[in-house]
Amino acid sequence: MKRQYAKLYVMAGFLGAALAALGYRLVDLQVVRHEEFQALAQQNTVRTIERQPMRGQILDIHGTPLAYSQAAKVICADPTLIGPYRKNVAHVLAPLLQTNEASLAERLIPRVWEENGKTNISKYVVLKRKVPLEIWEKIRQTMSSLSFAIDESKLKPRSRAFYTNLRAKAIFPEDDQIRYYPGQRLAAHILGFVANDDEQTGISGIECSFNSKLAGFAGWRKTEWDSGHRELVAYRDQDVAPRDGLNVVLTIDAGLQNIVECELTEGVKAHAPISISCIMLRPRTGEILAMATLPNFDPNHPGSFPMDDLRNRVVSDEAEPGSTFKIVAVTAGLNERLITLNDLFDCGKGQFFYAGRLLHDHKSFDVLTVEQIITKSSNIGAAKIGIRMGERTLWQYIHNFGFGERTGIPLPAEIPGRVWPLTNWTKVSIAQIPMGQGIAVTPLQMVMAMAALANNGILMRPMLVSRLEEPNGKVAVQYVPQPVRRVAGPETIREMVKALKTVPTSEGTAAQAHLDHYTVAGKTGTANKVENGKYVAKFFSSFIGFFPADNPEVCISVVMDEPKDGHYGGDVAAPVFHAIAERAASYLNLKPDLAPEPVGTPSLTAAASAIHQ
Amino acid sequence: MHDTPINERRHDYDWPLAAAVLGLMIIGTAFIFSATESQSLYLRQVVWYVLGVGAAAAACYFEYGSLARWSAVFYWGTMALLLAVYAVGAFHHGAKRWIDLGAFNLQPSEFAKIAFILWLAHYLSRPREELRRGKVFLGALGYTLLPFILVLKEPDMGSALVFLAISLAMMFVAGVPNRLLAGLVGGAGLLVVLGVALILFAPVKLKILESYQSGRVLEYFGRRKSYNVEQALISIGSGGLTGKGWRQGTQHSLGFLPSGGAHNDFIFSVIAEEEGFVGSVVVLTLYTVLLFSGIKIASQARDRLGQIMAIGVVTLLFSHVFINIGMNIRLMPVAGIPLPLLSYGGSSVICSLIAIGILHNVHIYRRYH
Repeated sequence: MKRQYAKLYVMAGFLGAALAALGYRLVDLQVVRHEEFQALAQQNTVRTIERQPMRGQILDIHGTPLAYSQAAKVICADPTLIGPYRKNVAHVLAPLLQTNEASLAERLIPRVWEENGKTNISKYVVLKRKVPLEIWEKIRQTMSSLSFAIDESKLKPRSRAFYTNLRAKAIFPEDDQIRYYPGQRLAAHILGFVANDDEQTGISGIECSFNSKLAGFAGWRKTEWDSGHRELVAYRDQDVAPRDGLNVVLTIDAGLQNIVECELTEGVKAHAPISISCIMLRPRTGEILAMATLPNFDPNHPGSFPMDDLRNRVVSDEAEPGSTFKIVAVTAGLNERLITLNDLFDCGKGQFFYAGRLLHDHKSFDVLTVEQIITKSSNIGAAKIGIRMGERTLWQYIHNFGFGERTGIPLPAEIPGRVWPLTNWTKVSIAQIPMGQGIAVTPLQMVMAMAALANNGILMRPMLVSRLEEPNGKVAVQYVPQPVRRVAGPETIREMVKALKTVPTSEGTAAQAHLDHYTVAGKTGTANKVENGKYVAKFFSSFIGFFPADNPEVCISVVMDEPKDGHYGGDVAAPVFHAIAERAASYLNLKPDLAPEPVGTPSLTAAASAIHQ
Repeated sequence: MHDTPINERRHDYDWPLAAAVLGLMIIGTAFIFSATESQSLYLRQVVWYVLGVGAAAAACYFEYGSLARWSAVFYWGTMALLLAVYAVGAFHHGAKRWIDLGAFNLQPSEFAKIAFILWLAHYLSRPREELRRGKVFLGALGYTLLPFILVLKEPDMGSALVFLAISLAMMFVAGVPNRLLAGLVGGAGLLVVLGVALILFAPVKLKILESYQSGRVLEYFGRRKSYNVEQALISIGSGGLTGKGWRQGTQHSLGFLPSGGAHNDFIFSVIAEEEGFVGSVVVLTLYTVLLFSGIKIASQARDRLGQIMAIGVVTLLFSHVFINIGMNIRLMPVAGIPLPLLSYGGSSVICSLIAIGILHNVHIYRRYH
């Protein structure tokens, strides 16, 4: 019997050792490595989901939406739930998603990859982004009514569950947004466009420069999920709502913008330029009321336009301004009391040798007053005014008018233009620059300079955004007009306006810019373009004017790059200015400052005369 | 020495054993309830407990000697059932281990283990001298290999190994010479090492195991990740010292533990997650009480038959406990072995209770001091 006990002791010892091994392992797992496994258990269930904010709208000054976002869906698929029915699913989804059936079927093949020795299979593939809600609804219905050539009632429960899951879960949506530009091409260059990703990052225009305000702030939800990817609503922990983006209210008036774009289109029809641009602004404040460039694009589909059309030439292109730049030299001369409007300059019958160069006028002039130099746009006259004031003064005024530096308009890709420092000026610079050669400016800089004359000598910073609003309409940020500096005294301005008023007359270079009901002050420009360092017979033609001249409400510039059928600014740009100004004045209901020509019924004419006298 | 009649029945109970069994049944009910909240499986489990306790009482009613005399019938009967599994067996999870009886699935291998213990105890209880004969040893080996092969082919590697373990322990206690046993252990060990080496280092077409079985060996040796075992480890580890609380476990309720396994093969993970280290120690302690009571009963057995029988039952329960918990905590490869009294399942519960009944039978008819 002793021996028997010995064997039982061996058994007991063996059992004890085995149970101790289990216990040791349990201490290791549950006590020593508890935190490691607790973290893994949490990883199983706890997920933090980002809650996307709604991107803010871009509105015109009256609240008309120019860009807005709408909820949409990203259509995703779980290829493992589709199994052998890839082709069936692709066949019904391809027309709804407007994609190629074969490539869709290709994407529904589950991808398998190895990671740390673990085989993974893809349960998530994006089929299409930016799908409108109604299309998703159709997809959902299509999937749920999918039928296969199988009698499913005879299947085992597990196989039946496969078909249930295929219908209900194989194709699923995630939240997305679509950016809409209801005006299509309207104000396209101002608005810009967004990237086709789920972040909707602004790529150009206001979408880009105000991206951080429009984007808003993402919220998040910390919650738990079970192994079947179902959320456990009862375990929601942190749930922070996203803060939607702010609305950007532009100074742009969609009505005026539309007028400008229509008339620019007419200008394109008449002269077929490479491009045509217009800026309309309110001189007192620098608010830009309309700004357009043709050719333009549709920000709903920016990808289908050439890169050149996407560029906002008003701020991103520079060119020699030509005669419009004479206002700088003349303003400088008057303000420095070096000249008066009545001073006489010999314009040398259209030819002037200076510093070894022969300067030309477009017509032969004898002796002109300073006022006539503006009226007739004499290059030689302007050159002589420049020579009289000297390089330093001219350079100072060029700088004061804001050339050579960015205006600060809230648009991306603005360039500063090109103003050479005095040390780089050649002998002939002092004669050329006053007539707008040897210097490069953007159309925006030029119109802001003219607007400074219209604003009693104070240069304003261009304003494109009036305010930022909360989604509920509460004003978050109100922007105010920003004066940059005074460029000339009131006396000088009065003289300048007087001279500029003579341009849109039968005597001046822009008779076609004359308006029936408003006095217009303005200046034409016709610059030879430079190719390979030489002036060629291609032109950059412009007209910039403001009205009513003595109490200016709007300043409008029209710029054409290489017009055909005529090239003088007065011939090609002034008519477009005229058409825009007429319609804008009536749209804005501006008070006329001119008696209309005596047409129509006598009694009305008499009444009108009585008012204006 | 023999003052009292030899077959006298002692009307007393091994209270620690009974308490351990009762405790395990209560824990089993509670955690099957927790693991399968939406179903009423715990009620069915209570029914199995009641039927099982009845069966255990029946097993106590007949003196174990008479059970041994009928053991040939039991043995060959269950072998017939194991064969019947081939003919009419029900497929679940890729294996044919059950006979569908409508109301429940009968798992003949569980009953075969009981019959095997009775039969082998009867066979080995012959005079010690006979056990030294090679013929007798080969006979015992044959009676072991028959159910071993039948169950292995179902396929059910875990249960098949249980037959080997029981046989080994019973032959050892019965007095089969150590050199024979050493040869048996050495041979079996060599086979296992060869098999594992083949799977690990030459995964060719030499198909000695089902693909899922070789997969489990690969998983065990870290060559492949097993989602189920990972999740079981996470369940147990995340339970910590005191657990997440009854019915508060996330791993099984959210479906990370295999939904078909949380209430049977992985019930230990559920307990360890919800009651933590304390809970797992309680469970281990109850099994320890149960097993050492068994050893004590074996030491007090009236004759060699009772002793061998008791050791067979202890080995049966122990191997189930060790393989199942070992699988949950990644000490053993995955094998579909139920945890006695805790896992859900009629065959397992009833057979475990019959086995404990037999143990108690030996206790009742023990020898006196």
